[in-house]
Amino acid sequence: MRVDFFLVMAALLFSIGCVGVLIRRNVIVMLMSIELMLNAVNLTFIAFSHELRSMTGHVFSLFVITVAACEAAVGLAIVLALFRRRQTTDVDDVSLLRW
Amino acid sequence: MDPAVLRVLIESTVKIALLFGLNLTVVAYMTLVERKVSAWIQDRRGPNRVGPFGLLQPVADGLKFLFKEAILPAHAHTALYLLAPVIIFVPAMVTLSVVPFGPPVELFGLTIPLQIADVDGGLLVILGLSSLGVYGVALAGWSSNNKYSLMGGLRSSAQLISYEMAMGFAVVGVLMTAGSLRLDAVVQSQMSHGWNIFWQFPGFIVFMAAAFAETNRLPFDLPEAESELVAGYHTEYSGMRFSMFYMAEYANMITASALAATLYLGGYHVPGLALLGLSPNLAALVQVAAFGLKVAAFLFLYVWVRWTLPRFRYDQLMNLGWKVLLPVALGHLMWVAFIVLMGWS
Amino acid sequence: MHLLTGLVIVVMVVALLRAAMPARPALTMLGGAIAATVLLVAYRHDLLGTEFWAGAIGFVAILSALLVILHPNPMVSVLFLILNLMCVALFYLMLQAHLMAVLQIVVYAGAIMVLFVFVIMLLNLRAEEELRLGRGAQRWLAMGLGGAFAALLFWALRHRSAQAWSGPGRYIEGFGTARDMGALLFGEYLFVTEAASVLLIAAMVGAVLLAKRRLD
Repeated sequence: MRVDFFLVMAALLFSIGCVGVLIRRNVIVMLMSIELMLNAVNLTFIAFSHELRSMTGHVFSLFVITVAACEAAVGLAIVLALFRRRQTTDVDDVSLLRW
Repeated sequence: MDPAVLRVLIESTVKIALLFGLNLTVVAYMTLVERKVSAWIQDRRGPNRVGPFGLLQPVADGLKFLFKEAILPAHAHTALYLLAPVIIFVPAMVTLSVVPFGPPVELFGLTIPLQIADVDGGLLVILGLSSLGVYGVALAGWSSNNKYSLMGGLRSSAQLISYEMAMGFAVVGVLMTAGSLRLDAVVQSQMSHGWNIFWQFPGFIVFMAAAFAETNRLPFDLPEAESELVAGYHTEYSGMRFSMFYMAEYANMITASALAATLYLGGYHVPGLALLGLSPNLAALVQVAAFGLKVAAFLFLYVWVRWTLPRFRYDQLMNLGWKVLLPVALGHLMWVAFIVLMGWS
Repeated sequence: MHLLTGLVIVVMVVALLRAAMPARPALTMLGGAIAATVLLVAYRHDLLGTEFWAGAIGFVAILSALLVILHPNPMVSVLFLILNLMCVALFYLMLQAHLMAVLQIVVYAGAIMVLFVFVIMLLNLRAEEELRLGRGAQRWLAMGLGGAFAALLFWALRHRSAQAWSGPGRYIEGFGTARDMGALLFGEYLFVTEAASVLLIAAMVGAVLLAKRRLD
């Protein structure tokens, strides 16, 4: 079925993003993997919206993009501030609060 | 193959080939126009040795670029370095595909719209493609492994995205009166309500300022000024790769001029053409010629402003983009909303 | 033979050639071109069909997503993510979501990714010498969990019933255009729209404040 193809794609993209967040240590690539996951969620929304002939999925998708933009902006600002203090983008190096 | 599909393929291919050829020719001759007009402004003659009135100068320039050595800097990221001119050049060309050049003509029994792609979101496609052009600048600055390029790339991309906002707001004003994102609908609405430049003059000023900044032309060309960061983001490029940046700048100018003509000056609309009572195809030809004249007028304006006004300093530039143009554009939007609500348009 | 299988075989052929003869990139490209031509000839009847292009674009999307998380250079990862976003925008076009496709390009690929590129340029992040993927067991555990999650998703997709989502939202004529989206955004979902604008302002203020050098 056509819509199932897009759902499978979205599931694969989400898993790849998930694995990316877990295995990469460069914080920028982790943020990009989060964007991949959000993108996959958008695709799922739009695919279901096409199947159910409802525009609500599109509206949701628009707000997911909005939230992704906000999160990317704030996240990258934190990365900048972090880099200025610690000169590193490796998340394993910012472990002061670890037990 | 399905005949309808075949027809669309042939129609699109012919239109793309024509438009592409025309665009590249105008780009080449814009270099000559720039030099000639700047010369006349500065009370001297321009190039007039190569061919009559210097008309073969672009050919000579092209040959020069072809024969120059294309240096690949050491320690530069090769893939990104080679990709950057492409990313700058392609959006400039593709944006022209949604601009309507004239009314639909009747040829060979078919109605052919003089627009390569009449998509439902034409205005958004233009905004999107100009956003994608920023990557070329950023990548060129980054991949050259050169501090001046990096600074120039950063400054230029920051300038580009700042003025994208102001341009977007001005375009939204046009969108509100047209009622649709399709550029053909924008032209049709101007046919019935009068050209947008009269109704939306502040928006026009904002759009022109933003268009000047988006194409990195004076007075906003700090990132590539010779006296500043050597040559900005294209310092390390030579030969044909540099000419891609050069041509992309002129292609962007042509696109911005075509957009300004379509959004504010009525596109291919010629007021009072119906009174002449010409045959439809001849009327279409006149309208296409009128569109060409409007684009040429804007191109001349670009060159004129370049050789007249001094350059903005970078902080003045960002100040203008965020603190002046954006509030003006927002106020203009409220004005347009008012006139749409009142039903004056 | 399904298109995706064919494309995977092309990639494997190219990878094998490159591994076998790393000093001769021309032969690798030739082998890849031959494999791609064979594939195109095999599918010549489908070249204008949606199924073919959906499969091809899906393949590019998955490949670019993999390269995003595996490439050592963050700038190249960003470029592959942009490629992925464009492939997803093409998916949106296939799903008749015209406005979302263009908005994806304008907002996501044209603004958010530019932000990423800016930060990488500001921090001057070069390629990591060796890809330090998580220490020790973290790497395998992560991939195992990712595989388990993907399996869970596939199981859910296989067992979803056609009537699971009863009571759809409003069905509007002229699906996917700006007019309908606007009708919903300023009609039923007005509060959410205004809340999103407040969120954006908060994010802007937060980002500016967090990236300041000195709080004065």
